[in-house]
Amino acid sequence: MTLRIHSRRDTAIAVAALLVLLAAPKIFPRGVVNDLWSVAFAIVLAASWNILGGFAGQVSIGYSAFLGIGAYTTALLSLKGISPWLTLPLAAFLGAAFSVLIGLPTFRLRGPYFTIATIGVSEAVRVLASGVSFTGGSSGLRMPADSYDFVSNYVAIVLLAAAAVGISWVIRGSSLGQALAAVRQDIDAAEAVGIDSTRVKLRAHAISAAMVSIAGGLFAMNFQYIAPGSVFDFRLSLSIVLMPIVGGVGTIAGPILGAIIFSYMQIKLLSSPALRDSYLFIYGGLLMLIMIFEPKGLVGLWMRLRRSVRRAPAAEIAA
Amino acid sequence: MSSLLPVLVNSLLAAGLYATMAYGLAMIYGVMRIINLAHAGVMMLGAYATFTLFTRFHMDPFLSLLVVVPLFYFLGVLVYRAIVRRLPRASAGPSMESLLLLFGLWLVLQNLAYFIWTGETQSILTGYTMKSIEVLGVRVGLPLVFVFAASAASLLFLNLFLRRTYAGRAIRAVTQNRDAAWLSGIDAERVSAAAFGIGTAFAGAAGTLMSTMYAFTPDFGRSFLLKAFCIIVLGGMESFTGVAAGALVLALLENAVSAWTPIPTTFQDAISFTLLVLALVLFPKGLPGLAAGLSRKVTAR
Amino acid sequence: MIRNSLRAIIGIGCLLAGVSFAHAQEIKIGAVLPITGKESKIGGAYKQATELAIKEVNDAGGLDLGGQKRKINLILLDDTSDGAKSAQLVEQLCAQEKVDAVIGGYGSQLVQAQSVVPERYGIPYISGGAGARGIYGRSKWVFGTLSPVDVLSQTQMDFLSSLVAAGKLRKPLKIALITENTEHGKDYVQGIHDYLKAHPGTFSIAVEESFELYAPDFKPLLTRVQNAKADLFMADAHLEDFISMQRTYTQMGLTHQMLTYGARGSDAAARKALGPATDYIFASGWWSDLLPYPQVKAFNAKWKTATGAEPQWYHATAYETVRVLLTAIRKAGSVKPDAVRSALASVELKDSILPGGVLKFTSTGQAVLPFVVTQNKPGDKVDIVWPREAKTGDPVAPIPR
Repeated sequence: MTLRIHSRRDTAIAVAALLVLLAAPKIFPRGVVNDLWSVAFAIVLAASWNILGGFAGQVSIGYSAFLGIGAYTTALLSLKGISPWLTLPLAAFLGAAFSVLIGLPTFRLRGPYFTIATIGVSEAVRVLASGVSFTGGSSGLRMPADSYDFVSNYVAIVLLAAAAVGISWVIRGSSLGQALAAVRQDIDAAEAVGIDSTRVKLRAHAISAAMVSIAGGLFAMNFQYIAPGSVFDFRLSLSIVLMPIVGGVGTIAGPILGAIIFSYMQIKLLSSPALRDSYLFIYGGLLMLIMIFEPKGLVGLWMRLRRSVRRAPAAEIAA
Repeated sequence: MSSLLPVLVNSLLAAGLYATMAYGLAMIYGVMRIINLAHAGVMMLGAYATFTLFTRFHMDPFLSLLVVVPLFYFLGVLVYRAIVRRLPRASAGPSMESLLLLFGLWLVLQNLAYFIWTGETQSILTGYTMKSIEVLGVRVGLPLVFVFAASAASLLFLNLFLRRTYAGRAIRAVTQNRDAAWLSGIDAERVSAAAFGIGTAFAGAAGTLMSTMYAFTPDFGRSFLLKAFCIIVLGGMESFTGVAAGALVLALLENAVSAWTPIPTTFQDAISFTLLVLALVLFPKGLPGLAAGLSRKVTAR
Repeated sequence: MIRNSLRAIIGIGCLLAGVSFAHAQEIKIGAVLPITGKESKIGGAYKQATELAIKEVNDAGGLDLGGQKRKINLILLDDTSDGAKSAQLVEQLCAQEKVDAVIGGYGSQLVQAQSVVPERYGIPYISGGAGARGIYGRSKWVFGTLSPVDVLSQTQMDFLSSLVAAGKLRKPLKIALITENTEHGKDYVQGIHDYLKAHPGTFSIAVEESFELYAPDFKPLLTRVQNAKADLFMADAHLEDFISMQRTYTQMGLTHQMLTYGARGSDAAARKALGPATDYIFASGWWSDLLPYPQVKAFNAKWKTATGAEPQWYHATAYETVRVLLTAIRKAGSVKPDAVRSALASVELKDSILPGGVLKFTSTGQAVLPFVVTQNKPGDKVDIVWPREAKTGDPVAPIPR
């Protein structure tokens, strides 16, 4: 069984998994559902980032800006009396718009220059958000107390995660996906065959930014309190990059795997006193090991194991 | 303007500090196109190493450079040989793998520091920490003057090293074109190891110098790291004089904005980050590129 | 032989039942603190004090609940100074561990994030680590032992006014107000503005600026302060920034008639980092080990014996937070959430080590207690200079050049 969906059986399994997840609030205790929320949230971020970072190879360490934009849009408008659910489409739009705004100048840059530019942008946004008063400044914003509805929020985030995975699967098989892959491999060659690399990158950026912004809105609705330090954080941007890379950048299953492992590690490591003091050590060490031994992430590791298993019988015959 | 001289003096001295933070980053990036996120962690370790030497052996921080620099060079080469070199080099350019690898290293270093020294805020107080002298009529702190002197000395050393020694020229060759350097008979791997060592040594030295001015915890270095990025971008990532110029531009901008505009100081950081993005987009070859472009325009007439 | 194994089974069964029974009888208290990350220094101190307070009670056999002594099981988690993680961990404690009460963290942003959770589960929550007013008054389940930061700055203004009245400072006095860009800093500024509005004529603000945490260079900011030519320098900053700023301040040769960094100044770490440059700085804190109450002297001795060091304010507030929670649980006679909550709302700890000697919560759930103003004196001495009843020395004003 590969990690692709190309049989009815695989589709059925995926749908079944989705249904179980949606029914989770009825089946599992609240603590488990909280954890599933975090996993779904992580999947949205990882799968969305993967569209630009994995398919097109443009590594942005500034995605927390979109999360923050979504969270603040929802929080500010909810405090003005608008229903939080109605703010989500606007959050998506603003996130996409901002992605175009920063994409236009920065997509001219290549490789690490682009990456550094995204760091600069995201940090500038964070500083502005903490300095300006209508965003509540550094003390953040609190959602109106009656806006909390965990089950609906949970269902929404799971559906968003499914959508993010689904959309990235559709994109990969489409002409946009092919154009992105061409851009990733050799941008000059892609341009030479007539692909407008900037437009293609902007589209990918906008789609992924929109989804991350919606996730930001759901984040605000779930945690009820947001502050620049938590939603515009550089470390958050780094973890958004980490998850698809650990799982397998550019694949469909990679971001999902990475998100699950990342969330699980967060949850488990922090609650175990013995491991708590070594939390950074384990996290950093794991990262280093993966980068050295299997940069294609877990999916890459899986592929390697399968290949070596397949080869073994032949080796036995040869021996 | 009556406040011009203080702005210039303060900017110059601040630039010395900023440049110190950036040299190590620039060296590693220039030679290996690796964005070293562990730079902040190494600066932090440099500060703590100095702290230990100060509290245990009563060694003056500036003297401890004699210990820190070789020690960190050695550690840098070790880290390169043991870890960084193993990275599969998919493309000639920089990779996400190296960025994340070094980020992982940064986390490990932080945890190490928590283990050894705990999260307590530490600082070094010497006889000259609180003293100040007058420079061109402006009162400035003595540690900052020493740091500036160290930074200027580093710049001089780097330029001499890169121009006059074989190792230095080999480094420049690899920086400009790695493959061509191989073809010329330069062992790019050894050069990379040495460059990583030098970069680490500079980061450690920066930590030592900063420990004379700031209080620190294992989290130290993060806010400096992003400024250092800005500086190396301005500096064109290929020349250390460029880095110094970049540091000066950044420091001038911060001081000038503070002295001559009513913009609140909270937005100071936003200015440097915006400058970073502008620099990348408008003049990616940094200030040296800009200068070269201008001189071409002038001589073309 | 069968009889022997039967005996063994019954014995083990009883043992297990006894163990689970004993566990069921335990009082489960959860705590989420920043033990690593940005707030780790004080977070770690809170951990130490919390564990000490609970150990004290457990060593005495447990907490007396309706005639029966029950041990306390403290489940302490590290949120690595991250707000979202902090909230999730509190959720975990409430939903999975099913704790009887939650002790909140340290740091206004972290506590803000945590404080939305107790309402959903109806579990009492008490924080000794955040003074921001915005946190309290929203949920009846949230309590806090730290008084609001705007009262801190108002107390400092009261103290300064007393110096004017005593002839030590002459009005009018201009203030340079420099605060960190956090909720703490904003409340500090608010307190001063409120005071100026209520007592016009003596003070005015010459320059008001805020700065980002961990700024590398305070020169530009302090140059603005220098140009403003104020009489009083009032700042609010974290420890690292305080050290950085005060070093730059001293090197620039800046002087003002009075100098404060909000709650900072008398910390041992600051003394170590700045030496005589901390002399005459006055600070307002939630606690000082110099308070002339017998219970404070007893606490100091206890802390010294247990840890070998002098207690700092954050040790005292963390300790007292646990103590008032346990007192309320004992008063309630059970761990039922509603009972504990009402007990907390009405408790009065009459031998409190906090200033004023009495700890109780206002209708918002936050305790509003007096602050002490201390002033550093040369030779590593510290004196309480306000309120007058708790004075251990006279204030020195203006600062001698």
